Amino acid sequence: MTSVQPPAPGRELSNPPSDGISNLRFSNHSDHLLVSSWDKSVRLYDASANALRGEFLHGGPVLDCCFHDDSSGFSASADHTVRRLVFSYNKEDILGRHDAPVRCVEYSYAAGQLITGSWDKTLKCWDPRGASGQDRTLVGTYPQPERVYSLSLVGNRLVVATAGRHVNVYDLRNMSQPEQRRESSLKYQTRCVRCYPNGTGYALSSVEGRVAMEFFDLSEASQAKKYAFKCHRKSEAGRDIVYPVNAIAFHPVYGTFATGGCDGFVNVWDGNNKKRLYQYSKYPTSIAALSFSRDGRLLAVASSYTYEEGDKAHEPDAIYVRSVNEIEVKPKPKVYPNPPA
Amino acid sequence: MSNPQTDPLVQVETTCGSLLYELQIIWDEVGESEADRDKLLLEIEQECLEVYRRKVDLANRSRAQLRQAIADSEAELAAICSAMGERPVHIRQSDKNAESLKEELRRTLPQLEEMRKRKSDRRNQFLEVQEQIQDISNEIYGTAEYISSKKVVDESDLSLRKLEELHRELHELQKEKSDRLRQVQEHVSTVNSLCSVLGVDSKNILTEVHPSLGDSVGSKNISNNTIDQLAAATRKLREVKLQRMQRLQDLASTMLELWHLMDTPIEEQQMFQTVTCNIAASEHEITEPNTLSVDFINYVEAEVSRLEELKSSKMKELVLKKRSELEEFCRKTHMVPEVDSTMDDVIEAIESGVVDPACVLEQIEFQIAKVKEEAFSRKEILEKIEKWLAACDEESWLEEYNRDENRYNAGRGAHLTLKRAEKARSLVNKLPAMVDALASKTIAWEKERGFEFTYDGIRLLSMLEEYTLLRQEKEQERRRQRDQKKLQEQLIAEQEALYGSKPSPLKTQSVKKAPRMSTGGANNRRVSVGGTMIHTPKPDLLQSAKASPHSRPIRKSDRVHLNDRLNLQDDSSSVLSAGRRGLDIAGLPVKKHSFGNGNVHEGESPVMRIPFSPISSTASSKANMTNFSDELNARHSETLKNTLPTNNMQFTSPSKTASMATEENKTPKALPILVPKTPSTVSVPMQTATTPALQPVPFGIKVVEEILEEIEYSFEEMRAGFVLPKTHIKPMIQV
Repeated sequence: MTSVQPPAPGRELSNPPSDGISNLRFSNHSDHLLVSSWDKSVRLYDASANALRGEFLHGGPVLDCCFHDDSSGFSASADHTVRRLVFSYNKEDILGRHDAPVRCVEYSYAAGQLITGSWDKTLKCWDPRGASGQDRTLVGTYPQPERVYSLSLVGNRLVVATAGRHVNVYDLRNMSQPEQRRESSLKYQTRCVRCYPNGTGYALSSVEGRVAMEFFDLSEASQAKKYAFKCHRKSEAGRDIVYPVNAIAFHPVYGTFATGGCDGFVNVWDGNNKKRLYQYSKYPTSIAALSFSRDGRLLAVASSYTYEEGDKAHEPDAIYVRSVNEIEVKPKPKVYPNPPA
Repeated sequence: MSNPQTDPLVQVETTCGSLLYELQIIWDEVGESEADRDKLLLEIEQECLEVYRRKVDLANRSRAQLRQAIADSEAELAAICSAMGERPVHIRQSDKNAESLKEELRRTLPQLEEMRKRKSDRRNQFLEVQEQIQDISNEIYGTAEYISSKKVVDESDLSLRKLEELHRELHELQKEKSDRLRQVQEHVSTVNSLCSVLGVDSKNILTEVHPSLGDSVGSKNISNNTIDQLAAATRKLREVKLQRMQRLQDLASTMLELWHLMDTPIEEQQMFQTVTCNIAASEHEITEPNTLSVDFINYVEAEVSRLEELKSSKMKELVLKKRSELEEFCRKTHMVPEVDSTMDDVIEAIESGVVDPACVLEQIEFQIAKVKEEAFSRKEILEKIEKWLAACDEESWLEEYNRDENRYNAGRGAHLTLKRAEKARSLVNKLPAMVDALASKTIAWEKERGFEFTYDGIRLLSMLEEYTLLRQEKEQERRRQRDQKKLQEQLIAEQEALYGSKPSPLKTQSVKKAPRMSTGGANNRRVSVGGTMIHTPKPDLLQSAKASPHSRPIRKSDRVHLNDRLNLQDDSSSVLSAGRRGLDIAGLPVKKHSFGNGNVHEGESPVMRIPFSPISSTASSKANMTNFSDELNARHSETLKNTLPTNNMQFTSPSKTASMATEENKTPKALPILVPKTPSTVSVPMQTATTPALQPVPFGIKVVEEILEEIEYSFEEMRAGFVLPKTHIKPMIQV
């Protein structure tokens, strides 16, 4: 059709990090947003008020962060440390260390444990409550086949995606060995893994513009449901350009999900009906991270170059918080024309 | 001595004679000389004369006084008469000499007295009139002249004429006074009425003009000043009234408009009847008390603002309704609504007043009209599309039906399905022609309009193209199945020769069953079942499938063998390792190329590629070669496997994977629409595929493989300069 004026990309937060954004997450209790960055900082924003509420400086780039509750959070840093951040006192302490940069961090409300994954090919579980010494906080170290790239939790299930396209599924109650050892259905390096909010499976994205939808249940009926689909691609002058899919975020209410790629697009998908629900207008640069707020009314989008093409000039890093329209995320059942009588 | 008593003069003369005699005697006796005697007698004579002269003078003087008095009184009389404008009462002419002076005086005096009395009466009259005049003119002109002209009565003119003049003057003044009173009264009543209309206390205004006006009883000040001030006050009030009236009428007209717009119920309108009935009234027609009071205007104003608020909310509702109408219409006609700005934005804009809702409404209406117009032009094609889609559904139903082993079992409604199948078959036969017709129509349409015909945001032509491709694939598939069947029959024949028995029908059943699952995917018309990427991503990256001579031939052979390899994987890990090897060799180089970076050295291919550039044909052909060799292995083992009926249950069926693989190969060409230039609200089907069945992979093998391969790094690792130390790998091998 004719030209369409691009709608606003959402409200841009003031005081964004000065370097690449590694992750951002909404709190489960408020519209606070925790943002980790390559500029060695973790920042806490009040997304609805567009205000910076706190800032923590680390010894190295921060690769991941997560909330504990509304007053504290955790961060994973490239200086091998796992830190706890207490927002009200603007205080931080080191929970423990890995032998290599810590890539990802997740807090399990079910187990009351913090789980970190590192490039030292291990997974570590921490008990943040006995926080007197390193020996007491560390619950266990679990070797992984490869460097950990992404973690996701749902209930007692933990999905670990590593280099070499390994995917390990753990039960948090028995971490001695993986419940399932899988290989990624996608042929290329895993970028991100996120569990379905209903706990039946996980979505996994790769650097080659593809997302696989997987199911935990190993029965044939369940496995028949799995599939993969292509996204974040562009054909230009007869060539197909395929972009990495950096981020997946599930909508907490509808179970639909958003993906963000290095093409700067955010797409919303309905996994059950295999439909794309919406595509937001292009952001200035790669989408590094995505997060829905607890009620799914807000979507935080980190538009930040992810160094997929090495060090080069790029757009400034920015965080956009956009309000989400129901129509954009609500599943649409398939509409079939009536079969002839 | 004759009676001396009767006449004193005689007496005096006798007395004088006697005295003289006496004197003669004396003298005789004394003997006075004659001379002395004479001398003394002369002396007496002189003294007597002196007395006489004195008496005459006295009488003469008194006569003159008398005459003067008469003249004076006469003169006064004359003056009075002339002052009073009367003829003199008495003219002394007739017997002037007849009267003595004293008589005349006696006669004149009473006349004078009377005239004096009359004069004083007249003067009093004058005074009275003048006083009245003075009073009135004081009232009229103010007190300034009061003292100066007090009691100056012109004594010289007390004539009746003058009195009459004064009376006239007085009368005139009285008239003026009453005039003024009336005027003041009028003004006061005007002010009162105006004040009552305006809802203001008139007493304040009136007492401000003059304290006397405040009282309803008692005299009122009627001076020029007062009247002027009253007039000014009236004017001012009238101005205020006019202003307010204007205001009220404006409000009333707004209110009427809003009522009209929103169909406000009569009961609600009734409350403001007094307002609206005055909408066309001129100023003097508005007399109802309080109709223009500040409170009342505020009240009306509040109502108007309430109505306006109501209107704006209704407008918003209307905008939303129209918008959803537009969306609904677009959905019905399978068009993509043009404007993508979310409703929230619009509402926000309306609330903030940036955008006039009417304007937005107009825009939406315009869009609806446009969309309707377009829909009309699309109608014919749309109908055809519906038919085509329905036919497609029937086709897929038919396919499934054909696969049903028990289709001819006479169950309930079997005759109906038979009939439907018959119909469907004829419909399917017509499908290609239908597609062609639709395509040509669409092309014509597109040519005519100059833009693409989209269906739910997807270009119809590409849908058709996709469909024809799918159809071709299906045909090829069918052909392949036939070949396979032949091969199987041959094998069975061999087995029969060997063991003398036929394999259980279970096997064929499972083969038959599997495709039915795949139709689930195929059913999804526009869904191109995305590849499982067991195969190289080469076709994806090599966008121009047509241009590349490699893609086509490879695809055909691939499809046949791919599933074979899959089956191998399913089956046994020993075969898997072989399969995986092939896969890794085929896959990895490409992977490295497409996202390659300086750190990673590519062992197998010397060609370095910049990121995101398409793969060179050398790389892809190499990949194909490796695949091909793999497939050769695989085929052999597959044939073996197929003969083992027990294994079949685990299989992902061959035809299923086949369709996936073909889909993947096809996608670059068939799906350019999947990345639309503009975001759209239409949900677009994913390019999905059922991923290959997953098997737990033993750790050890993996690690060995990792070491054999180049180490991959994520973007973050590259950025952080993280290099995997060898020490990390070593212990892992032992795991």
